[in-house]
Amino acid sequence: MSLFRYASSIYGGSDMLIGANYGLLPWFALAGVVFVIAHAIFKAVAAPSRPR
Amino acid sequence: MTLGLTPADRIVRHKFVDRAYHWVMAVSVLILLVTAFLPILGIKFEWVGIHWVTGLVLSIIVLIHIIRASFWQDFWSMMIDSGDLKAPFGKPGKYSLAQKLYHLAIAALVLSTIASGLLMWRKVDTPFWQRDPYWLSTESWGLVYAIHGLAAMALVTMVIIHVYFALRPDEWHLTRSMLRGWMTRKEYQDHHDPRRWSAKDEA
Repeated sequence: MSLFRYASSIYGGSDMLIGANYGLLPWFALAGVVFVIAHAIFKAVAAPSRPR
Repeated sequence: MTLGLTPADRIVRHKFVDRAYHWVMAVSVLILLVTAFLPILGIKFEWVGIHWVTGLVLSIIVLIHIIRASFWQDFWSMMIDSGDLKAPFGKPGKYSLAQKLYHLAIAALVLSTIASGLLMWRKVDTPFWQRDPYWLSTESWGLVYAIHGLAAMALVTMVIIHVYFALRPDEWHLTRSMLRGWMTRKEYQDHHDPRRWSAKDEA
């Protein structure tokens, strides 16, 4: 999946960049959720909080 | 436990103006993300006006923050220093290495969206001017839109991570300090190196 969106130029030639590919939005959100889950598991299993 | 604490037991972490900046920025970023992405997800409404006005608010407060951080705050407390690199998981000064890296990433993303957003403003009718879609070439507009869109989507990732850390019980002292301005002396001693952050009492 491309990072960018392109459109055909009305004058022919190569495609033109017109912006970011918003189809990636769920993947950016998923990246945040994956980080959260991975960190929570790491903290729970590998580095549990010590009582102070 | 924060009940019964005297002002002398409290360490000032964030002044009111800095907390106000944080929360105005938080609300602005959330409004900007919602007005940007809900229409893309199929929920249509008149979003452009809300989006550019909120973007202008964000631009102004970020400019104020940069000036304040440069001249009135301890600018270097947010910069990565040799102590962070020697002991990345040791007791930090006011901010940990992870917080400094997060701040750096947010700064890059927000400044990218602001710079590209201010250029895109030229394509919107405002009380100050009429839109001019030919102000830049088609290729340049494409690049501006790409930077704005990618930085905005990356901000979604960063906001999720930020909210997660704010809600973690072991980080509540930091969340509370962003609400009320202070942390307890015990929290200061437990979490920070006094040689790297000589904090002041609230008293």
